[in-house]
Formats: sequence, C-alpha cells, structure tokens
Amino acid sequence: MYSSHSFSRREFLLMTGGIVIAASALEAKGAKEAPLIIMDQAEGLVIADSTKCVGCRRCELACTEFNDGKSWPTMARIKVGRNLNFGPKGLRTGQRGQGNWGNGLIIQDICNQCPHPVPCANACPNDAIVVKPPTNARVVDPNRCTGCKMCQRACPWEMMSFDSDTDKATKCFLCDGNPKCVEACPSGALSYVAWRDLTDKVPPRVVPTAVVSPEKAQTCIDCHKK
Amino acid sequence: MEDQAEIYANIVKIIRDRSAMGRLLTAEEILTELEGQGILESEGIEQKTYRETQLRSVLQENRDLRKISGPDGIAYYYSVQNLSETYAEILVWKLENPLRLIAEVVRKNSRLYPRPVSMDSFREPPFGLTGEEMAECLTIMEKQREYQDIAQTVTSIGTLFLYSTEHLDPDHAFTLAEWLDVGQVNNP
Amino acid sequence: MAKYGGWAGKVLRVDLSAGKISTEDTVEQYKDYLGGTGIGYKVIWDEVQAGTKPFDPENRIVYGVGPLAGTGVPCNGRTAITTLWPTCWPRPLVASGHMGGHFAAELKYAGYDAIIIEGKADHPVWLSVLDGKAEIKDARGLWGQGIRRTTIEINQQMGPEASVAAIGQAGENLVPMSVVINSYSHSAGGVGGVMGSKNLKAIGVRGTGSVRIAGSKEEWEKVIKLHLSLLGANNQHVVPNNPQPWAEYYDAGSRWVASAGRRWGAANPSIDTGACEPHNLNRIAYRTNNAAFFLGDKAWQYTIRGNGCTACPVRCHTMLKVPAVSAKYGIPAVGQNTCTGLLFGKSFFKSFPDGPKGQTAIEACMVGMHLADDLGVWENYGQLQRDFQALYYNGIFGRKVAEKEFKSYSWDKYEQGDPTFLFELLPKIANKEGELATALGLGTGHLLERWGIPEQEWLENHELLYWKLGHPKHHSNEDAGQCGVIINTQYNRDAQCHSHSNFTRNGLPIDVQKRLATELWGAPDAVDAVAAFTPMNTYKAKMAKWALLRKELHDCLSLCNWMGPWVASPLKERGYRGDDSIESLVYSLATGDKKSRQELDEVAERIFLLHRALTIRDMGTKDMRTRHDTIPDWVFADLKDKAAFSKGTIRMDKEDIKLAMDMYYEEMSWDKQTGSPTGETYRRLGLAYVADELTKRGLLP
Repeated sequence: MYSSHSFSRREFLLMTGGIVIAASALEAKGAKEAPLIIMDQAEGLVIADSTKCVGCRRCELACTEFNDGKSWPTMARIKVGRNLNFGPKGLRTGQRGQGNWGNGLIIQDICNQCPHPVPCANACPNDAIVVKPPTNARVVDPNRCTGCKMCQRACPWEMMSFDSDTDKATKCFLCDGNPKCVEACPSGALSYVAWRDLTDKVPPRVVPTAVVSPEKAQTCIDCHKK
Repeated sequence: MEDQAEIYANIVKIIRDRSAMGRLLTAEEILTELEGQGILESEGIEQKTYRETQLRSVLQENRDLRKISGPDGIAYYYSVQNLSETYAEILVWKLENPLRLIAEVVRKNSRLYPRPVSMDSFREPPFGLTGEEMAECLTIMEKQREYQDIAQTVTSIGTLFLYSTEHLDPDHAFTLAEWLDVGQVNNP
Repeated sequence: MAKYGGWAGKVLRVDLSAGKISTEDTVEQYKDYLGGTGIGYKVIWDEVQAGTKPFDPENRIVYGVGPLAGTGVPCNGRTAITTLWPTCWPRPLVASGHMGGHFAAELKYAGYDAIIIEGKADHPVWLSVLDGKAEIKDARGLWGQGIRRTTIEINQQMGPEASVAAIGQAGENLVPMSVVINSYSHSAGGVGGVMGSKNLKAIGVRGTGSVRIAGSKEEWEKVIKLHLSLLGANNQHVVPNNPQPWAEYYDAGSRWVASAGRRWGAANPSIDTGACEPHNLNRIAYRTNNAAFFLGDKAWQYTIRGNGCTACPVRCHTMLKVPAVSAKYGIPAVGQNTCTGLLFGKSFFKSFPDGPKGQTAIEACMVGMHLADDLGVWENYGQLQRDFQALYYNGIFGRKVAEKEFKSYSWDKYEQGDPTFLFELLPKIANKEGELATALGLGTGHLLERWGIPEQEWLENHELLYWKLGHPKHHSNEDAGQCGVIINTQYNRDAQCHSHSNFTRNGLPIDVQKRLATELWGAPDAVDAVAAFTPMNTYKAKMAKWALLRKELHDCLSLCNWMGPWVASPLKERGYRGDDSIESLVYSLATGDKKSRQELDEVAERIFLLHRALTIRDMGTKDMRTRHDTIPDWVFADLKDKAAFSKGTIRMDKEDIKLAMDMYYEEMSWDKQTGSPTGETYRRLGLAYVADELTKRGLLP
C-alpha cells in the first residue's frame, strides 16, 4: 500500500483526515501557531421539516434555557423567530409570502455543520471555532473567542449567535448528540440525523462579508496547489 | 430443548409489539410468529405444554400482559403498556358482532362517565360499522329482550344517540346528548 | 444582576397628553402584585378616580405581562389588558381583556413587564418600544387603516420580527365592542375603544434581550419537562375524543381530536395526526384542531396546521386554507383563529343551506375572521351574535330602526345563511353607520337601554345566555353547577374563568373526577356529573375560590387560563393526577422568589381582592351581594320545568344558591350579608391601604 515515495503534504493530509494544522505556515514563519483547518465531517445534523413547524419557538427557548440558563430566543442556535411572521424574504412579500402572515410555512434555520471549508471557522482570526468530539460539531471555544464577530459575517446562513452577556460568539453544537431543540419540538418537525452536506441545498440568507486571513489562504495551497 | 428463556422473552416481545400496532393476538398467532422467526425448531414445542406452562408463566410474571376472552372462548393476548383494557374490550366485542359491540360500548359509556353515545361514532375507527349494520342493529335491539335497556335519544339538530336505561335516565341522557352535540360548541 | 429572575425589571409609563415617557421599577413597585392584572388593578386603584369614564383621558390602560412571559414555561404567551370597561353597564367598572400571540414575550425581551398608558395624544400616534427605547410616533398615516395594514406598516419600520398590537376602525371610532389584535389573530376584547379614545393606534414591540431564570438550568429543564408531561389538549382535556389504542378513557366532547386518518389536509403534503400517545411530547401540537372541533370533520381538509402563542405546544388556533373563498368573496384563502374568534362569522346565522357543519358555515367563518380581525370588532363571547339573532327574529330591528335603513340590509341573504351579508354588517358596526350598527356596537347593556328594552327580558331568556352588567355568562351552571354560578357573579364582564370548566370537561369518568376532587378540594362532593347536580356544600365553594384565584394568578403570571390549572393529566400511571403546585414551582424557580402553592395563592387572593375593592369603590356600595353578585332568572328555570337537582336539568335553586353565596363568602372570609371583604381580610392580605380608603367612604361592612 505504501510505496517508497515520499508523500506530498496533500496526500498526507487526505490520508490522515482530522483537524489539520497547516504545515506551510510553520515553515514559512517559524514557530508561530498555525491556522486551524477543519477536515472532520460532523457526525450528525439537525434537519427541519418546515411543513410541520407550528411557530411556537420552543426550540429556540430550549436551546438557550437548557444550555445557557436564560430565555433568549435571539441568541438561539436554531433560528425560527426571524421567519415567523413573513418568512425568510421578510416584508417584501407582504401577505403573499410565507410565515404566519403568508401561507403559514415557517422555515427553521439550522446550522449546516459545514464540511471543509468551514466559513465561520476559517473567518475566525483566533481559530476559536473547533471540532468537538463525539459529534464533531463545529463549536465556538469561548476561551479563544474575542468577540470580534467575524464569524457572524462569514456564515451565509446567518447562523452565528452572539451572547452579549459574555461577549462571545456561540453556535449550534448539537448538544453533544442529543439536541435540545429536537427534543422540545411539539410537532416533531426537527430530527437529528447522520450528517449530510446541505450547504449547496439550503439557500443562503446573506452574502458573507468576511474574508479568510492570508495565513490561512496560504495553507490552502498545501492541498490545492496545481 | 430450545433456550426457554429466549422463547419466553420473545413471547413477551411479540405480544407487546402487536399491542403497539393496536392489535390483539391469539396463542396460535404467537406460535406462528415464533416459528416464523425461527425460534422454535421444527420438532416444535408441545402445544398443550406451551399454552399451559409457557404462556401462563409469561402472563404471571409480566404484569403488563393480559388475557381476554373472545368469541367461542378463544383467548386473546395483549400488553397494557401499549394497548388499554378499554381498547382490547372494544376489539373483542368487534370480533363478536356489531350488536354486541354497540350494546356493550353504550352500556359502558352510560355507566362510567356517564354519557350517551352517538350512533355516528360507530362509523369511525376502531368500530368501523357500515350504515346497514347499524340500521340492522337498531332494529334488532328494539325487539330483543336482552337489549331492552338500550334506548335512543335525538338532539335538537337531529343526531341520534344511544344510552342504557340501566345507568342513565331518559332526561339525563337527552340533556347530555344535547350538551355533547350542540351545547359544548355553543359554549366554547 | 437583578435580585429576581423572571421580571424584566421595568414598567413603561406613557403619558400621551404630555407626550412623556418614563419608567418604574417593577419589583420595587409591583412585586406584591406579580404582573398582568395585578399591576393593572394597582394602577387603577392608585391613579383612577371613581366616576372616571373609559374614554376619559384620565383612564389608564395597562398592558401587563408576568414574570413567566417570554420563558419556556408552557402556555405563557398571555398579555392582560386592564382598564375601565366600555361595555360595562350601567356604569363602567374595572375589567381586563387578554390577548395571546407573541406580544407578551417580545415585551419582556424588550425589557418591560408592563406598559401603562394614560392621557390622550392630540393626534393619532403609535408607540414604538425597541429594546428598552420607547418613542411616541405619528400614526396619522395609519389612522383609518385596518389592523392588518397597520401591523405590516409598523413591521416595515421596526423589522419583520416586531410584535404589533393594533386597533382597527372600530377602536378608532370609539365603538365599545372593539378589540386590539396582535400576531394576526390574537385579540383582547373590549379595549379597542379605550385605545382609540387616547388616539393610540398601535404598540409595536421589538426586543432582542432575555429573561433571566433564577434557578439552575438543570432544575429548570426538569420542571419544564414535568409541566409538559402533564399537558392535555386545548382546555386541558386529558383524554382523546375517540377510542385510541393507548387510552383507557375517551370523550366525544374532548378537544383532543387527533387520530389515525385525521389529517392536516392543507399542509403541503398533508400530515396524518395519528395516535398521539401522551408520553410522546413531540406530538402535543397534533392533539388539538379547534377548527375541526367546532366546524366538523370538513375542516380537516382545510387545515394547514395549528398556531398560537409563544412557547405553547397546544396550538389552539387553527390555520385554514379554503381556496373557494378567494373567488367567491375576494378574501384571502388563508385565515386563522380559535373558539369564538373562529366562529365569529358563523354565529350570526340561524342556519345554513348545507347545515351547521357544512361548507357554507366554514365560509362564513372565513369571511367573519377576515372582516372582524381587521376592523377590530368584538363579539363579547358570542353575545353580539346571539343578540343579533334575537333582535332580528323577534322583529326588534324592524321596530327600532328607521324603515329606510332597515331595508338597506339584504335580510333575504341573512335568512338564507349567505356569508356575503357580513360584508354589509361588520363594516357598519366598525364605522358606526346607522342606528342598527351603532346600537350593536354599544354592547348589550347600552343597546337595551337605548332601545328601551327592559334588561329583564334578557335575564329571563334561556338562549341569550346573558348574565349581568351587559355581558354573558362564561362557563356557569351548565358546566359546573353552583361552582359555575358563583364564578360568574364575580367579575364586571363575562367571567373569562376556565379553571373549573377545564376540569369538568376533561373527559375523565365522574368517579375519577371525584377522586381528584377529594384531593384538591376536600371531598368527592365538590363535583357532580353534568346535569346531575346535587345541593350545595362547602367543597363546591372551595372549588369556586380555587378556580377564581387561579384565573387571577394566571392573568398575573402570564399563564393561559384556557389551559391551566393542570390538576388533571392524561397519565394513567399518575392516576390522571396533574400537579396543583405547578404554578408555584415554575414561579419560584423562574424568579428565585420561593413561594409555596398556598403562598402564591395568597398573592392571587390579594390581587383578586383588589379587583373586588375597585368594584365596590366604583359602584359606591358595599352591598355586593344584592347589587353586584346577581344571577339571571334563566339560571333558575327549566324549559321543561324539571325541578332543580333532578337528572337532566341544569336548573339551579334560589335558596340553594343563596347558601352557595353564603358558603363562598365564608370561604373568602368576606361579610356574609353584603358579600364585601372585611377590613380584617384586606389587612391580612396586605391591603390595609385599601381598607383605610374604603372605611373613609363607608364601604367596609
């Protein structure tokens, strides 16, 4: 299986998988800590059936009450309230859109637990978004987060939350495999399933305005060079 | 000799699973299920022993498992974990005939809650009676002595209700039928 | 950090005359009154003189929510609105309306527990409350528009997530029979005109804040899950409405209508409600379909889904899509509401060509909701429609209204059950057009007076369900015998109390109800089987006291009295027992203010007593028994002249009811002769200042 030739960095990375500390930056700059690149897929994902959402917001409340001890739907890591009245397109559709004022459909916005490249993680200047076993959810490490909100600008689905009490970003971490929102939904609209890539299947909410730092961009070449 | 414990555990599971589907099953059906699952060898288990010892001990040692007698003395088994006694009773009455079903449901409702029962409700699951069956039953009940206690009352919007005179008096039955059919909706 | 969780901490005070906004500290000023109606009654007692009229600038209107609003406690989406009541006749008295939806939660997230409005703006305004910042804004562009357009235009300014409580043309025109509505279909009856009289078109609230939970998140999760496990369907009915495999009991009158084969037919694709086994908390939302319950099986095919208030899993509003109404009536195909709101249009008509549960009845509901929830017309628990039918079919309209006006209505359409008739009637009521519509808009009491009809006629009529003071009964003897009668004497509008009827209609067999009643109120004799009532006893009086205090408590905490209390449950392993302490459990854990069940009930009693005192003060009498706690004659009669306490009648007996009131006053420690609370009782409950004031006025017994 292993021939005698030395591996390219790319081949090595692909074989080992996992979180990769990019080597090229180390080489180039010396012993500075290298940017994080998340390669592991998440194990699971929360998916939502919008035809079953009854607009009660218990998912948002369970998320923050049972995880953070406060009732704070704005900070919830599943987002329904913003689509409740008029749907994701908001007021542009008046009474002809979705939501309680339209056709009744309520879209639940869920973190896609993006595969590589992970927008929020890549945008974080402090590599504070990491993979957390056993679910491998992409999780904000509060010890590293400095509250700059770059991750918020990076997520095309606007799924990053910001806890203004602690001044830290936070995001869906799948509640270690037993999501509180799924448990809380009174119509069974939410399910926790094996991860699959929904990033090209769920329309984005915003155009992301964050950038990947040059150090990180440099490391892309490790795997993706011509 | 098959692993007794395995057979035993499977009997319990089969009964509980069938109850979760909203159904009863006979000893015969349990046996077929066990054979179908390949748990019993073809030399089989002696039928009498099976019924008398295995099934009996399974019932004795699992408090959720029950036996109910159906028509022709056939025994049916279910688990109250997943199927209520009330529902099992209805299923057994259904196996007998529509007449018995209607009469017993009406008598039980008249005694227990107490309340009369709308004829229309017998169309719905789990009863599933047809219009003809219901009409026929009404005719028979008016004539046969053993159903003399089953009486009719009609609400102000023309809905027919039945009740048992053994448990409800006519005025009370009428008022309750009216309350169910008209009153509760008018007093939201 | 605030000392207590639950409360947001601030009460917003808006003086529209001066254009001034200020805040008060909730806990400092109002903690002993919890929130909701508690704050409402306190403000009215302290600030509004006896003799003030509802449309006077001096009247206050208090939007109060409770410490539980905005949390994950089931059924907390309620806002209580307390004010002097326009339809209360012959003189206005304090009362409250209640609206669900998302307004209460949003107000908490914006940082407020209540909004007190006083004065009158000199031009139409709306109040914007945006994350703690309140502003009075110009509403001249909104005035004259319906509730729907008003809401959308305010959302355009405040963002799509703002919650807007708005009045329609009815409120603007000071029609007493008017509402305020938030979240599309959630109305608070009776208060629209008070807002209109202040030139207040709407309140828009947007909050991104949080509600602090004092208890640990682990304890909180446990208690929330306990509460959820005890829930039934709408009105806390705890058995399904037809036999289900898992159910020991069932009741055709239950609102737990889910079953295999019953589908949300207009969902895309349709969804089977299935057997909603009570331990499966992910199916609570399928249990209830009030459109199907009230309109018949035909409503299933039109059901998109359930809807309702923040944090409530029950979804008692039904969202309907009836495609035919678009072409037929030019209204949106989608409509939603619950109970009387759902039935608004249908209730006017005596009959429909295709029967009470046919297509036309459903269409009438759709037209009714579309018109009433935009114009903001109130129905007073169906009294508007009952009066309408009586006034028409007894020829009173024909006599009291000028011929030309009378003939301008398409009575043939009305008699045929044609929903298009509503397009003629409802806008006229909202705009006070003509004598007929103006009179109807006054409310029953003022209508009877205006047209010289003796109230006695309404008091004797079995079908009108009129009780007193211009309002109907609301769950009285038909539901709970003497207990229901007592409850209906206590308020200044229809009682709006469901504590007792939720229990008696929960669907459990009478023996099980009696077993639970023994634990709750002391003896099985507290409850009777419906229409098999027995003579009065003290346990019924205890139940009545419990029912009233809990309703008041719910209106202060922000809990839904259409669901609570939760004293019965669908759980066989609990013997169908609920938990009589659930309110004190969640209150203590949310706020950190530890109160036992009895202690919290005492706070409720204080608040209920304040309502009593206000009524006494503003009536200028302490003789509540004969002047206020009255009972209509129809309660004491039976159409077949069956005797009271015989089987099949709900007729009450006069002497027995006298005893009932005696026992109730005794339970309350009020003076038996007058039905007035004693000075001692006021003082015991922390209302010494009330006792002092009433003493000054000679209004203590």
